[in-house]
Amino acid sequence: MSGYKRVSGDALEYEVFARKTRGEPLHQVGSVVAPDDDLAMAYARATYDEERWCEMAIVRKEHVIELWQPGET
Amino acid sequence: MADPSRYADPAFGRAGAAALFPDVGTHQNLVSLSDLVLSIADNKQMLGLRYAEWATRAPSLEADIAAAAMGLDDLGHSRVLFGCLEPLGSDPRGPERESDPGSLRNLAYFDEPWTQWSQFVAANAILDTAFTAMIEACVGGSVEVLQHRLRKMLMEERYHFLHGRSWLRSGIDAGPLDRAWKEAIEWFGPPDGETESLHREGRLSMGPDQLRARLEEQLEMKAPSVSVDWKTWDPLRRRGQSGAIDQRTFAMLRGLEEKKYAPPSAAKQSSV
Repeated sequence: MSGYKRVSGDALEYEVFARKTRGEPLHQVGSVVAPDDDLAMAYARATYDEERWCEMAIVRKEHVIELWQPGET
Repeated sequence: MADPSRYADPAFGRAGAAALFPDVGTHQNLVSLSDLVLSIADNKQMLGLRYAEWATRAPSLEADIAAAAMGLDDLGHSRVLFGCLEPLGSDPRGPERESDPGSLRNLAYFDEPWTQWSQFVAANAILDTAFTAMIEACVGGSVEVLQHRLRKMLMEERYHFLHGRSWLRSGIDAGPLDRAWKEAIEWFGPPDGETESLHREGRLSMGPDQLRARLEEQLEMKAPSVSVDWKTWDPLRRRGQSGAIDQRTFAMLRGLEEKKYAPPSAAKQSSV
């Protein structure tokens, strides 16, 4: 989750989280760029469909509260 | 005296009817359900090709993937629709389609490749949804082959609709949007034309007014005020504007474009 922005304009960036089994924690599998939540969900489903996930969630990148960035302490 | 309406039978052909009854050349008499299905097929084929052109040019990788996926969907839908022509009793496709791009029944919106993302989004939101509304009308109508074969398209089109609506809400230029609305309304046909006749006969579950209302309801917006000169409207191509797709796209449709890139051995083989 760096400060890099993939698209300009009104589109939003979302982080995609998923897990394959109930026993493992959710982890970040990638990100998607979409103009709204509805399409972001569809994009996440279509883009990260190689695995049989038992759970998938997306979060708007702007809603993630970062405690520190790489290189910071 | 012969009843002119008898010659609305597709088997008789439009040219024959027009020659015998030049003064009754109204849209209702000369355009069949097959003509309408061919128009949907041609437009979906062109929509699929134009979507595919954006598979590496959209604003994000996900939109690239969506463009490719929707393009494939629409090309597949066009093949299913072409396959319905024979069971419908008449296939309006003639040999002119091999040489004259003006004989294809696509909307003017698809004549040239799109140069702006706004054009893609307007087509995705307005025109793709307009075609889906017409397919809904076919599925809801009384013609069995259309009821059965087109139903699956409605499922696949849900993603296209979601995609178009979301990008539309993010805001696009007014030019492509207004043009797409105008061409969609033209494509539904005049209030007293053949689409309305097919609706009254029960072969379509919606006529032009209902199709327009359906489109507005789906997109949760009112169509802009559109004035259409139905006298100059072409009932077969379902458009008021003359013109045709560009030569490169036409060559691609006919399978000529890829031959340029084929290895010499393949060209030799194909000429044997």
